[in-house]
Amino acid sequence: MTTEWNHVTVISVCLYILISIACNNAVESDINCLKSVKASLRDPENLLSSWDFSNSTEGFICRFTGIECWHPDESKVLNIHLSDMGLIGGFPVGLKNCTSMTGLDLSNNRLNGPLPTNMTDIVHFLTTLDLSSNNLSGEIPVSISNISFLNVLKLDNNRFTGRIPYELGGLSRIKEFNVSNNLLSGPVPNFGPNIKADSYAGNLDLCGGPLQRCEGEPSKTSTVVK
Amino acid sequence: MDRISPLISTSTLLWFIFVLYSFSKVYGNSEGDALNALKVQLSDPNNVLQSWDPTLVNPCTWYHVTCNNENSVTRLELGNASLSGQLVPQLGQLMNLQYLELYGNKITGKIPKELGNLKNLVSLDLYMNQLEGRIPSTLGNLQKLRYLRLHHNTLTGTIPYSLTTISTLQVLDLSYNRLRGHVPVNGSFALFTAMSFYHNPGLKLPVSSSGPIKSMIFLRRRTRMMINLRSIIIACNILSRDEKFYEVYESHLQSSAVEDVK
Repeated sequence: MTTEWNHVTVISVCLYILISIACNNAVESDINCLKSVKASLRDPENLLSSWDFSNSTEGFICRFTGIECWHPDESKVLNIHLSDMGLIGGFPVGLKNCTSMTGLDLSNNRLNGPLPTNMTDIVHFLTTLDLSSNNLSGEIPVSISNISFLNVLKLDNNRFTGRIPYELGGLSRIKEFNVSNNLLSGPVPNFGPNIKADSYAGNLDLCGGPLQRCEGEPSKTSTVVK
Repeated sequence: MDRISPLISTSTLLWFIFVLYSFSKVYGNSEGDALNALKVQLSDPNNVLQSWDPTLVNPCTWYHVTCNNENSVTRLELGNASLSGQLVPQLGQLMNLQYLELYGNKITGKIPKELGNLKNLVSLDLYMNQLEGRIPSTLGNLQKLRYLRLHHNTLTGTIPYSLTTISTLQVLDLSYNRLRGHVPVNGSFALFTAMSFYHNPGLKLPVSSSGPIKSMIFLRRRTRMMINLRSIIIACNILSRDEKFYEVYESHLQSSAVEDVK
């Protein structure tokens, strides 16, 4: 009889561990995501002070500044909205652990450096990506074209260089696209009639689409955009 | 005769006043009646509805009920209240209702189609219950709806296309149900990713150009979890020496892994 009782206890304990691992997997990752974001960015105006990880009740990160959860009972990040907060640093790759995030707005900060080349691994389910008005540089990663649910892509007012990846034209849900005021050149992607010339204003030598046709050789003077 | 007629008219007047007062009490309380109809259909082991007294002139003093300046119900907040039983069509009479929060209970039965009458509804949270039947297409009439969370129920049928006409919709979660058919991708549904529809075995998720990558990422997450689960199972197996338990659980994990990759 004692052996039977031990048998049942062992199985119950194991089942409990299994279930808690299964349930908590997503929640823990989101908490680690936000911890990593806070650690990787400098916050001179101390606007992330509400991000306090010490008291971890169910859904506690949902009360953080700039964080919107899928529902208030679970620490599962839906949107991050940290616009105009004076944040300094590179694009936070820790966002990879916010696996359910669909909206990211880091506009009007002081983010610098290039974007990671594997953007689609980091922020795969985004429908809105707003990185406008920062100090981001380097090329626009091709992998953004695999973030297939993107509706809004705003990269304007940065210092992106090189070409706009033509593959971005494959984003079938794009409603808003803006790369104005960067240092981009070359042919623009084929988004169709919804994306107008002002999405491309203030760059170097962009051509094609709603802009003037791309000739054989790139022109040496700046493109005048209507 | 002259003395009696003023007496008769006064008493008649008083009688009219009494009758009218009684009528106004009844009509003025129609929202209270609707909520009371809900109370009657629900089982309430924790007595969260104890303050719901239908003899009061309006339900605005009831706990979990919020009213506006005109004493009309705007919020009903009964999340995580251990309620069971069913919803009632009378909920559709709460014309100024903005927040209907009934999540995390054990409510069974169907979603009443009358909820489509709640023109001012901003949030409909029926998630984590045991609701069954279809998502009523009348919910497409909720033209101010921002949050529609019906996840973790046993809802069946297809997703009504009328929902794509709700331009204010910001958060949609229909995951963990038994929905089938195609997922709309037009209108407001352009904003919603596969995550809003996960774990509906018969549902055909929207095709994306990064299909393989998407399922790879999901598989990667599940694989990490599976490796943890597998090692625990092996440990359990060794500890308990219960061969049969190990076999049954192993086959269950394999079948759910195949489901998830789809």
